[in-house]
Amino acid sequence: MIEVDAISKRFKEVVAVDRVSFTAPDGRITGLLGENGAGKSTTLRTIATVLRADSGTVRIDGVDVRTAPEDARHRLGVLPHSHGLYGRLTGRENIRYFGELNGLADTELDARIDTLVQTLDIGSFIDRRTEGFSHGQKMKIALARALIHDPRNVVLDEPTNGLDVMATRALRDVIRALRAEGRCVLFSSHVMQEVAALCDDIVVIHNGRPAGHGSPDALREETGEADLEEAFVKIIARAEGRV
Amino acid sequence: MTLKAVLTVFRKETRDNARDRRTLFRVFLFGPLLGPIIFAGMMNAVISMNLGSATKALDLPVAGAQYAPNLIAFLRAHHAKIEPAPEDPAAAVKAGTADVVLKIPASYPEDFVAGRPAEVDVVLDAASQSGAAPVRRVKALLNAYSSQLASLRLLARGVNPAATHPLAIIDRDVSTPTARGAMLLGMVPYFCLFATLMGGFYLAIDTTAGERERGSLEPLLGTAASRPSLMLGKLAATAFYSLCALAIAVAAFGVAIPTVPAAELGMQLNFGAYEALWIFAVCVPFVFLGAAGLTVIAAFSRSFKEAQAWMSVALIVPVLPLIFVAVHPVHSQWWMMLIPSLSQDLLIMTVMKGTPIDGGFFALSIISTLVVAAILAAYAMRLYRRERLLV
Repeated sequence: MIEVDAISKRFKEVVAVDRVSFTAPDGRITGLLGENGAGKSTTLRTIATVLRADSGTVRIDGVDVRTAPEDARHRLGVLPHSHGLYGRLTGRENIRYFGELNGLADTELDARIDTLVQTLDIGSFIDRRTEGFSHGQKMKIALARALIHDPRNVVLDEPTNGLDVMATRALRDVIRALRAEGRCVLFSSHVMQEVAALCDDIVVIHNGRPAGHGSPDALREETGEADLEEAFVKIIARAEGRV
Repeated sequence: MTLKAVLTVFRKETRDNARDRRTLFRVFLFGPLLGPIIFAGMMNAVISMNLGSATKALDLPVAGAQYAPNLIAFLRAHHAKIEPAPEDPAAAVKAGTADVVLKIPASYPEDFVAGRPAEVDVVLDAASQSGAAPVRRVKALLNAYSSQLASLRLLARGVNPAATHPLAIIDRDVSTPTARGAMLLGMVPYFCLFATLMGGFYLAIDTTAGERERGSLEPLLGTAASRPSLMLGKLAATAFYSLCALAIAVAAFGVAIPTVPAAELGMQLNFGAYEALWIFAVCVPFVFLGAAGLTVIAAFSRSFKEAQAWMSVALIVPVLPLIFVAVHPVHSQWWMMLIPSLSQDLLIMTVMKGTPIDGGFFALSIISTLVVAAILAAYAMRLYRRERLLV
């Protein structure tokens, strides 16, 4: 479970995140929805402890990221915006590196990689160097790397960006499987269909502020729109005080 | 911070960079071999040029040889090969077709017989490198002939020629052939330090600024490993590559230096396995200083290019004390051992002069260098803890 309580973050003059709060419970998929530059990535980076919030708290399974960042990171699997694989290493070496850094022993690591080869279907290219990989292959290796230590909480920053139809569908299946295993899944997107197809809960962020929160049905009902995209537009307009 | 995480990072970085040919080339060939090759090549060329001209017959074009048959006979007796002079001696020397031309004017016989100083012209080009040695030889022969004749003239007048030498100046050189040879080896310390820094240069950039630029730093910082362990692992990998480069450089000097025929100049180049091991030992603390310094630069630079620019500047820093010593030659004093790179330079020169190293100096050099290395490493750790490391 990921609990975000009133976090704020500013970069010099710019307020990137302003008192954002939400809870992403276990066994559910929570979507962070917002336009480009709304503060989604900053929020996710703060959860991943890469950035430090100016105020507010983040708890991963009850562990405060500020006081015990290493413990918190251990409970998290993060797929950041940039996959950043090491091109001169093979897929397996990339995955092993992160497994070892997350404290896995050798036998445990091999078993986990075998499982991930199954669930992500990466067996055909895992032992090649990643520099020649397609975007979809890179994403899968990066995802395997994020999941190597079997984290209870998974954070994905715009995971479907640049993926083709088949790769997107495969990723959706993986995300649903993660939910079925009882994990907490938090992902960001600006693609409406993506969010509508996957999310149990939606957190709308606009200009760094929370603008709406609820299940897709609840948001549709609340705004009186049948279409989620129209509902989103209405929520944004309301946040800007235009309605 | 855990040792396991440090080792994991160390293993990954050494392996990753071992697969990069450009890095390997610079670390293991360009950095360490540049110095020894330049040294051996230059020394061999200089010495063989000097020796060659000293033992070979001197080709000497002479104009007006018929006016001074005795002088010509003297020159011939001293291994000069007299040749007909070119038509315009000045032009020939200027054009470089002749190194030096001797011109004997028609007035020579008359002046000579009258006991007046008889003019002989040495046509030379003071700006010419290759002409310097033949000109020196010609002048030495002319001076020898002149003083021989002076002595004969004095004897003919019943005067002891020794009267013209009130002082007998004799050099009593206290240097050993090894110490004289050490002068030639003056560039060895710098190239050892240069190779050390070059060895870590690319790894330090690649593992920090490069990682940020490729976008792999963010996922890395998201692992359970602490930032200090990441930093130390990368620092260790940088130091390891530096150490390899240093070892190769010292070994290459060990191969290159004996090829220089210094004995023929009355010098001995003191560089065997014993000296090589000492030099390696003297430089090991500098490996850590270099690795820590490079890591600091890589951590505060925002991009690969910026890091590269700063590090090129950093390569010059260890030379500054060396230049100071070259301009103001000094004897080693204890406070100089407190200055990294200067202390290594002085200790390496001591080893190569064949004098034993002062244990206290050696200890002081190790401690001071490691203290500075630790300060830089602590600073690198602070930079790694900053949020700005990522953005």
